[in-house]
Amino acid sequence: MRAKIVGVAVAAMLTLAVSACGAGDDKKGDDASAKEPGLVIWADDKRAPVLESFKAQFEKELGVTVKVEAVSKDLQANFVTASQGDNAPDVVVGAHDWIGNLVQNGAIDPVQLTDPQKAGFNADALKAVSYNGQIYGAPYAMENLALIRNTELAPEAPATFEDLVADAKKLKQDGKTEELLSLQVGQNGDAYHAYPLYASAGGYLFGEKANGDYDPADLGVGKPESVKAFEKISALGKDGVLKTSIGSENSTPLFTSKKTAYLVSGPWAIADVKKSGIKYDITPIPGFKGMDKATPFLGVQSFFVAAKGKHKAVAQEFVTNYVTGKDLAKALYTADPRPPALTAAFDEVKAADPDIAKFQAAGAGAKPLPSIPEMSAVWDPFGKAEAAIVGGSDVTETVNGAATAISGAIKK
Amino acid sequence: MTTVGREFRGTSLTGLLVKIALLGLTAALAVWAIVPLIGARAWIGVGAVALATALLFWIYLSPKRLPLKYLVPGTILLLVFQVAPVLYTVATSTSNFGDGHRGTKDDAITAIETASVTQVPDSPVYDLAVATDGDGDLVFILSDPATGKFFAGDAEGLRELPATAVHKGLSGKITEADGYTVLTTAQAAGRSADITALAVPVDGGGIRSNGLTKAYQGVASRAYDASCDCVREPATGKTWTADGDTGYFTAADGEVLPQGWRVSVGLENYTRVITDERVRGPFLSVLWWNFLFAFASVLVTFALGLGCALALHKKRLKGKAVYRTLLVLPYAMPAFAMLLVWRDMFNKDFGLINTLLGLDVGWFDGAWTARAAVVLVQLWLGYPYMFLVCTGALQSIPSETLEAAKIDGASPWQSFRRVTLPLLLVSLTPLLISSFAFNFNNFNAIQLTTGGAPFAPGSSQVGATDLLITYTYRLAFGGQGAQYGFAAACSVFIFLIVATVSVIGFRRTRAQEEVYR
Amino acid sequence: MKGRDWWRHLVAILAVVFSLLPIVFVVSAALNPQGTLSSTGLVPTDGVSLSNVGDLFAKTSFGHWYLNSLIVAGSAAFISVFISAIAAYAFSRYRFRGRRVGLMALLLIQMFPQFLSIVALFLAFSKVSEVWPGVGFNTLSGLTLVYLGGALGVNTWLMKGFFDTVPKELDESAVMDGASHAQVFFRIILPLVTPILAVTGLLAFIGTINEFLIANVFLTDPESKTLAIGLFGLINEQNRDANFGIFAVGTLLTAIPTVAVFQLLQRYIVGGLTAGAVKG
Repeated sequence: MRAKIVGVAVAAMLTLAVSACGAGDDKKGDDASAKEPGLVIWADDKRAPVLESFKAQFEKELGVTVKVEAVSKDLQANFVTASQGDNAPDVVVGAHDWIGNLVQNGAIDPVQLTDPQKAGFNADALKAVSYNGQIYGAPYAMENLALIRNTELAPEAPATFEDLVADAKKLKQDGKTEELLSLQVGQNGDAYHAYPLYASAGGYLFGEKANGDYDPADLGVGKPESVKAFEKISALGKDGVLKTSIGSENSTPLFTSKKTAYLVSGPWAIADVKKSGIKYDITPIPGFKGMDKATPFLGVQSFFVAAKGKHKAVAQEFVTNYVTGKDLAKALYTADPRPPALTAAFDEVKAADPDIAKFQAAGAGAKPLPSIPEMSAVWDPFGKAEAAIVGGSDVTETVNGAATAISGAIKK
Repeated sequence: MTTVGREFRGTSLTGLLVKIALLGLTAALAVWAIVPLIGARAWIGVGAVALATALLFWIYLSPKRLPLKYLVPGTILLLVFQVAPVLYTVATSTSNFGDGHRGTKDDAITAIETASVTQVPDSPVYDLAVATDGDGDLVFILSDPATGKFFAGDAEGLRELPATAVHKGLSGKITEADGYTVLTTAQAAGRSADITALAVPVDGGGIRSNGLTKAYQGVASRAYDASCDCVREPATGKTWTADGDTGYFTAADGEVLPQGWRVSVGLENYTRVITDERVRGPFLSVLWWNFLFAFASVLVTFALGLGCALALHKKRLKGKAVYRTLLVLPYAMPAFAMLLVWRDMFNKDFGLINTLLGLDVGWFDGAWTARAAVVLVQLWLGYPYMFLVCTGALQSIPSETLEAAKIDGASPWQSFRRVTLPLLLVSLTPLLISSFAFNFNNFNAIQLTTGGAPFAPGSSQVGATDLLITYTYRLAFGGQGAQYGFAAACSVFIFLIVATVSVIGFRRTRAQEEVYR
Repeated sequence: MKGRDWWRHLVAILAVVFSLLPIVFVVSAALNPQGTLSSTGLVPTDGVSLSNVGDLFAKTSFGHWYLNSLIVAGSAAFISVFISAIAAYAFSRYRFRGRRVGLMALLLIQMFPQFLSIVALFLAFSKVSEVWPGVGFNTLSGLTLVYLGGALGVNTWLMKGFFDTVPKELDESAVMDGASHAQVFFRIILPLVTPILAVTGLLAFIGTINEFLIANVFLTDPESKTLAIGLFGLINEQNRDANFGIFAVGTLLTAIPTVAVFQLLQRYIVGGLTAGAVKG
């Protein structure tokens, strides 16, 4: 009996195994066709659909298949892990402030742009993607904060931040608005949106080396200037100009629902503002009276060549010789309207879209977001210090606490 | 052991057929798995698959080893997809694995050398066509737009080509070159790695491809020298020596090259957890709240879940099905989304809760209101689960038992307290403990709502609602890049704490008797 | 008798209100044509429209996500309930060496923070994708396999507790009558524990449909994504506010299969099957 069972079992297995072999071979045939040379691009959910719409064009002009994949969460970290795991894409689209971390992980290669190509880019954008003397990405769009104003409620652009507060208070007293200003802070702060005011009041994050690079050894948080700057922010918190209850989720809607006349935001908010039909104008964020300009940070969206990609030559071709062309820059602008980094494209689109030039003007003198890896130690403590100070806590103690946290987290 | 040993007597034909089919399927799967492994020459993999298959046959072809037959499928999956990743993670806790120290030393050297390649000043930028020679080796067909000259370059060097030997298409692209086969883009893409690796040696560097249509003369300013185990920069004479303790190339003046590699650091991550004031300082206060949070979450969800289950535990109660469906709805919504919705509902000035109740409470500003808020959110998210489980458990309590209690004159409360609850706890205690464990590490519950807030002024490290896991997450990933090794060491510590508490919890409960009887 | 049920209705109604409050908020966002987050209150302020539904299907591959989620969650739930049940049977009915340790280990392994293991899983699957692309990245079968890694665990504990409440005399007498161990399991135990099978099945289904940490690294191809990961992408950072309307629609549609599965299983969870069988 036992022997018989085993015999039947073995026979059945052999049959199935043979059929599995057949299936296995089929599978291989499929894979061979799926693995034909191509280009894999990773982007976040915002940019992947834009690139996807150019897929057919890329394929036609490059002569290879193109695959655009969206990574919804932690694109940068996943890209680094994928590079380590030999599963990297060929091209990644991301912000220039990733560069420091991507370079220390050997995840991206420098991009060799020719002198005429370099000359075609906005100088600030090019500086932003430069790191340790090399250019690490092809920039395509720039973004910075500006003051967006409801011109029906507030026809005049404020010259100083104090003017802005005075006008806003009047509007609120007259019952025309409910909030003075919509500048996102959030429960745990927002260093990016706080920076223009911090800079205007004399604060800085990192000092600069002689060559213009940020110097991680010179941390500005905790210096007397930073305490003074946060005193200003503290006063705005007490005044109700800044509120921790205004965060990323409600800053734009407050403006589009006319609850406030002033919004500090970037090009990404414009689509919603347009949809609401409000008449608006874009001007630089005003600085404090008698103090520095409120310069925002400059962020540059870029294409990076992955160091561990399987089709690096194609990726280089795509990033250095294709993305840098005017037509693509314009097409990307149309799909996602932010100022193009390519001067020729910028000049063409600004005629039809005055907002672009206004954002550019608001970003005049903007410092690139620091791309040094040390910067990632700043965001969280700085933001929390901002939130605490807006909420009314003691300035000196809070700033010193943040400084200790930041310098503790930076590797020596 | 009375149930064991007679199993063969009752084996039916269906059972036999199913057994044969399943074993056949196993064999088929094994073959499917092994063929590509052999192709990839992954002999360890082949061995593992063969061993696993042999083990499965050994277990299922024998009349003995009954418990194994039932446990093996789940155990294999568990080992492969849960235990192995955890072990790998624990192994990283003795290394400096993290951003800047991801790969091997060779990876770091490659990255350093590649990153140092710059274009030679005033050198020409060539138009490139990738071609192969008669042997199939790669050749760069180059044209210098400034001089109009043509060249062919390979690993040997650069040779000028007569202008007549190269033909350009209408777009100005090189389409043909006598004696060479110009590759299409798709063909070239297939040899991408070779193209990137080729540098045509010329004086002062090498001509490298920049994509598929351009080439430039580049030179690597830094190179690894094995004799001194260092990276040299000939132009400045500077050297960075490999430091096997930190996983960095370090110069005499203390300058460190950013690209490091993964090295073993022994128990350094563990000693850091114990000795670092930033880690150790707030540890006890976080731990205390962490226990409270997990305990409170389980208690309130269980209480409400059980309450609802009891309320609806009655035959022919009107609207029972509708109630049940509506009660379960919170569990059907994606948790991460609802956490965000709840966070917005607690907003001080614009949140639904303050608006509806006419309050002006800064929920996340005070330690205890924030703590109450996160527990309330957990209650909402978690009680449908307890409701479902309790409903199932109540069904399995034999009605005779309750009838008997009733006949003995017990009040509804007494029969619940003395009969229903003890019986429920028998089957649900393990669940309550695992629920405790889940909530102990409930990262999203805090990260997506308060983010740890409120933070005391001057302390951005630890907030009043921080759990150990959100707190160590901030320490390990909030600094200069991700520090996986350190995070793993923290996790091991947390794991030891939770595990100890859970085991003690088990021993103290009556469930022990049920589990170990 | 009827008068004594009022407290049951009171508890149920209060709980339902509590359950529904945030959901009404989401429903109102779904119907709000403005489609942004803070324009949303409990009642849609800008009128009611179904434009978000159209947008959801036009702007995203929602249909694909939906189907993928159903396939993954359905198969993972079904298989894991089976695997869990047989393991729980062994833990409940057999006494063997390593049983105590095994049970405890099952619980402890769940307590390790998952976001760390993801790096290890990612590296492992990079190799798997090369050797067996059929179960590698961007495949639903691979993702299902990973989820099945958690088949033994909390659910096994839960089931074991219920198996313990089934009197041992039942299977012993069946064995006396000549039943094999498999027959005892399939014909006697399983029918008796149907409620808990249904409950764990539902729990596994919901757990899988909501999972997004692993799915996020696993599925990058837009058409291979699942609901959780696709929806998460909709409200990422800057998108969060503007997409909230279509996100709300997506969230509500996601709840439908879960509710449907619950309806389907409800009669097993509630039904008098257990009582009858135990009596018999």
